[in-house]
Amino acid sequence: MTAAIDDDLWSAIGDPTRRRLLDLLLADGGGTATTLSDHLPVTRQAVAKHLGVLDRVGLVHATPAGRERRYEVDEVQLARAVAQLASVGAAWNARLLRIKRIAEAIQRTREN
Amino acid sequence: MEYGSIEREIHIEAAPGVVYEVVSTPEHLREWWPDDADFTSAAGATGVISFGGDISSADNIAPITVVEADPPRRFSFRWVYEDVATATNSLLVTFDLVPVGTGTLLRMTETGFREKGWEAAILEEQYRDHVSGWDYFLPRLTPYIARLVKTP
Repeated sequence: MTAAIDDDLWSAIGDPTRRRLLDLLLADGGGTATTLSDHLPVTRQAVAKHLGVLDRVGLVHATPAGRERRYEVDEVQLARAVAQLASVGAAWNARLLRIKRIAEAIQRTREN
Repeated sequence: MEYGSIEREIHIEAAPGVVYEVVSTPEHLREWWPDDADFTSAAGATGVISFGGDISSADNIAPITVVEADPPRRFSFRWVYEDVATATNSLLVTFDLVPVGTGTLLRMTETGFREKGWEAAILEEQYRDHVSGWDYFLPRLTPYIARLVKTP
């Protein structure tokens, strides 16, 4: 995966409506723009547009269902996104190490 | 999807009062986290931190609101929100300081990830574009300590 694709992945899930869509799809095991729009304060057209964004970054996959398309979450791609979130935890490790070094340096200068 | 919270702890060979200063004042904060910080270390105070630029540019600025300022025991603040920070629209970072011998056990928790995690992660991603860990911080640390020695 290239960095450009990661950027798209991040902007795809940076939107609260799209995160809500992912939550609904996970809870129900899938859905169409029509069924999803019943749960959201946005139009079916808007839901379809958001699903298109999620589809393009591979977070959902569509299969034909009558005149509509039925969407399901791609769990592998979602796991990748969650793993990137986990890197926020790693960032805190580095911050705490810096806090430790700064505080210990101050302590040493005060003792000397 | 429940991402819960991040919890970390670290032992620091410095008195709780010293550690409290480092985690709660803008002068120290900008040495270990954002590129710039401007806030008052008092409960209810609001301010900003910025990544990858100075505080005067609108890019990558995050508001923060101090929740608790109880030296040298606890310092907590909310960040990653729009308008006014509430319990549901922000991330809450809490530092608890426990004296252990001559040092301090520093406990950090960050909660609120269910709703706000993605935005925080995006901000961090932008941050990482500008700094690559110790390559960036180590050269900064030496002059910083030298400056501390000079100022009482």
